Amino acid sequence: MELTPDETTLFTIWNVGINETVANTWIVIILLTVASIAITRNLRPDVPPNRWRTTLEVIVTAIQSQIEEISPRASRHVLYFSGTLFLFIAFSNLLLVVPGFTPPTASLSTTAALAFSVLIAVPLFGITRQGIGGYLKTYVQPSVIMLPFNIISEFSRGISLAIRLYGNVMSGAVIAGILLGVAPFFFPVVMDVLGLLTGLIQAYIFAILATVYISSATATASAGRPLSKEKDK
Amino acid sequence: MSVDWVTVVAQIGNFLVLVWLLKRFLYKPILNGIDAREAEIATQMGKAEVAQKKAAAAEARFLEQKQKLLADNSVNAERVREQAEQEKDALLAATREKLEREKQDWQAHLEAERERFIRELHLASAETLYQLVRRALRDLADEDLEEHIALNVISKLKPMSQELISAADHAEHAVVTTHAPLPENTQAKMRASLERLAPGLPLSFTTDARQAPGLILRIGSVQVAWTVDSYTDELIGLLADRLAAGGSGRVNNHG
Repeated sequence: MELTPDETTLFTIWNVGINETVANTWIVIILLTVASIAITRNLRPDVPPNRWRTTLEVIVTAIQSQIEEISPRASRHVLYFSGTLFLFIAFSNLLLVVPGFTPPTASLSTTAALAFSVLIAVPLFGITRQGIGGYLKTYVQPSVIMLPFNIISEFSRGISLAIRLYGNVMSGAVIAGILLGVAPFFFPVVMDVLGLLTGLIQAYIFAILATVYISSATATASAGRPLSKEKDK
Repeated sequence: MSVDWVTVVAQIGNFLVLVWLLKRFLYKPILNGIDAREAEIATQMGKAEVAQKKAAAAEARFLEQKQKLLADNSVNAERVREQAEQEKDALLAATREKLEREKQDWQAHLEAERERFIRELHLASAETLYQLVRRALRDLADEDLEEHIALNVISKLKPMSQELISAADHAEHAVVTTHAPLPENTQAKMRASLERLAPGLPLSFTTDARQAPGLILRIGSVQVAWTVDSYTDELIGLLADRLAAGGSGRVNNHG
């Protein structure tokens, strides 16, 4: 039984093998982009929004309001980053219902890539906001003794992000595969429905945690680190 | 379970591309659209607020003008009512005056009509009474009324002889006026009778259709009349009494 779609090479481009994870990621990217272009193509302020545009506005404003709840002074770049994380993971997980489609998030490589992205984005946002000195100072807060623990914390939360998402999505797919063998008529459907719910929750958790990390890094020295690391669970 | 680092790098690249694509085609258009719509809404709300203020000011002006108009209306209504009252009083006074004048005219007219009617009734009554008496006398006694009146006058002249003689002294002639011509023998009898009272005084006979039946003798300034006027006056008086007593207006023949 395959636990990761990384091992399945679908085709090659210039002698580079394209595995199922990357190919399915491109499919997700294309679907999201095409849908966005199609809906926002004729967007004018004097025209009342249609139902699709309203749906997108609801999604975007919901993401924005969630980010603002965590970090009221967050810039739009946080929205672009965390919103994309949520949409990509959620859409990938929703495609679980398509027969034969393996969500890219079921690959540890994808979740690791997303976790690396968060790990890279957090210091970048922090440095952009506070400057490199201000950001590095947060590692010795409240005292220098905490420096190694803070560094370990930075890496461990990235690893936990990656493993959590991978575990949830992969386990859903694995359980569905096992049940398909045991009871092929009813339980896989129930598990797929449960997988949809779990996928959406994981997308939400991943995006929220990324936002929390970014907001922690972008908090000014006077404000300290407003959100504790206890949320990393 | 293993991590393919090439796939990890590719997925990082894919994710960054997706961030850029969604930023370009999703977030910016949507957020800019929301901002534009919010700005449009804010503009519209600002305009609405200005319009509301204008409407409130216009309403206040309108209410003020309405109050003023109501006050003016009440004053005007009071003034118009007073004018109407005065006009009504004047019209009523004029109408009363006109009615009074018409009433007086009508009463004068009625009075004139009544007098004319009484006069005509007087003449008609006298004529009728005369004709009736005359016919009755002729039918019952084969006598002429005029002749008997004349003979009666002759018999009545004797008690008044002194007055007639004194009047005849200044008169040049005597005149007998009757309603109808007197017979010749009656005229002769009267001439003879007057000759005895006032010798040499010429006597002439005339008729007057407007005169009441009977005989009027004029000698100078003296006039002696034997007519049915007194009887017709009495008849008219009786009729008026009956009418005034609330009778039906019909005169009972044997009453």
